[in-house]
Amino acid sequence: MAVDTLTLTVLALIYIAVTFYLGYLGYKKTKSTEDYLVAGRSSHPVIIALSYGATFISTSAIVGFGGAAANLGMGLIWLTVLNIGIGILLAFVVFGKKTREIGQRLSAITFPDLMGKIYQSPPLQYISGIIIIIGMPLYTAAILIGGARFIEPTFNMEYTTALFLFAAIVAIYVFFGGLIAVMYTDALQGAIMLIGMSFLLVLTYVYLGGITAANTALTTMADMVPQALSDQGMTGWTTMPELGSPIWFTLITTLVLGVGIGVLAQPQLIVRFMTAKDGKSLNRAVLVGGPFILMMTGVAFTVGALSNVWFFQQDGTIAITAAGGNVDAIIPLFITQAMPDIFVVIFLLTLLSAAMSTLSGLFHAMGTALICDIWGRGRECALSLRANQCGLVVMILVSLVIAFVLPGSIIARATAMFMGLCAAAFLPAFAVGIYAKTPCTRAALWSIVSGTVIWFFWTAFVHVAEAKPLGICQMLTGQVTLLGAPWTVIDPLIIALPVSAIVMAVMQIQYNRMRSKPAVSAS
Amino acid sequence: MILGIPDLQIVIGYGLAIGLAIACIVYGLLNWNREGDEDGS
Repeated sequence: MAVDTLTLTVLALIYIAVTFYLGYLGYKKTKSTEDYLVAGRSSHPVIIALSYGATFISTSAIVGFGGAAANLGMGLIWLTVLNIGIGILLAFVVFGKKTREIGQRLSAITFPDLMGKIYQSPPLQYISGIIIIIGMPLYTAAILIGGARFIEPTFNMEYTTALFLFAAIVAIYVFFGGLIAVMYTDALQGAIMLIGMSFLLVLTYVYLGGITAANTALTTMADMVPQALSDQGMTGWTTMPELGSPIWFTLITTLVLGVGIGVLAQPQLIVRFMTAKDGKSLNRAVLVGGPFILMMTGVAFTVGALSNVWFFQQDGTIAITAAGGNVDAIIPLFITQAMPDIFVVIFLLTLLSAAMSTLSGLFHAMGTALICDIWGRGRECALSLRANQCGLVVMILVSLVIAFVLPGSIIARATAMFMGLCAAAFLPAFAVGIYAKTPCTRAALWSIVSGTVIWFFWTAFVHVAEAKPLGICQMLTGQVTLLGAPWTVIDPLIIALPVSAIVMAVMQIQYNRMRSKPAVSAS
Repeated sequence: MILGIPDLQIVIGYGLAIGLAIACIVYGLLNWNREGDEDGS
């Protein structure tokens, strides 16, 4: 690497020291359990926006999906459209304000607690909590792996040490400072990410001769698309894949829709809405959130695709070939080879920030789900700081164990899987819960259960990207998948979410009709 | 071909992404002091 380890270590230590200081401020401000769980419901709008954005955008979005754009082209920009349109505008304006208002009125402290209180159903709180503590450690482990894999070569550290150290640093400030510390550090990390990605965009276009020249150069490289990709429908890096081709389905259903819609029902993000003091705070947060996300995913996807031009100009090859076939290695390779030394340092801190901000939100959401929603539901002790800190430690250890057993190249896949599961399980019940006058508990339960079961079934038996490595279908039926193309490339979310939405809608309508009938017959 | 990009779907994607980010700024400014939904709930 171009930058010497000493400079990098010193800067990383300064960054960690500032992070710990913000964590300490969070600790000092944490006077009650409500402070620890929902940041006292009085967060500043800029902190809400940066915290939401930085938690939303992990290393996966920058390195994993940036690499995917280098491989599949600029069509990924449609994910940015959904990230802003759904992940910010719809999430804050339509869902956020109602969530804040209801959360405050019902004194909800976690996402499962909110669901349980809206539907007046303890089982709903348990089920939501269980889905979180089963699904979230996988995603958390993937983020941990991503962070450790990046720390390992950068600081010449052994992988196992890097994994423990990375988890420990984040765990310390989340453990002591709760959600206030999480959000303060997220804001710092979000600001670093914003600086890093701005430099990356500007320098890339400067190096490639300007916007039009760079894009035109990428367009003329269409005949260099690898045979394997063009056989599956890829037409170039500045054009969409052939409609209905396997690459089109992967791009649209898994990457764009899966991640784009999935963000709406993520427990660790929904709890951010409950930290707002009032509706004004959320309106103001939108102002920061939209441009922030544009500068994160929009830049990662654009630079990812354009890296092909840079690698071609250097040694006549495309990005994926230069990275030895490893999609996750493209962005780091481009940064270290193309960018000036000082930027390499900024970008390394950007990646560290992206990983830490997501990780801290996940640690907090899992720990509180275990204690407030499962182990201690309805008990006074569940609301003690000590109990929640114990829950946090347990879930961090579980995530660490999973991180040791998960296979490689799991980061982007695990992100899409977790977001898909959350949307399929929670989105219809959550949407109806915050908007219906009399939401039906049975409908919510069946919607969550059907969404979860169908999602798991499609993941294990149909969607080849997961069914093949899992091997469950192969073991039980002797076939890799139960169905053939094009079903094998359609993301589980595309099947499971409509099912859970239909179940929710049909049962809610029936419930509304039944409620109106007895009122007439009883009179 | 717009700014070196030949596919209108990609151009529209970029236009929408930037347009939505601007919409977020406008929304935030217009509703800076507005408390919440007007339904009173």
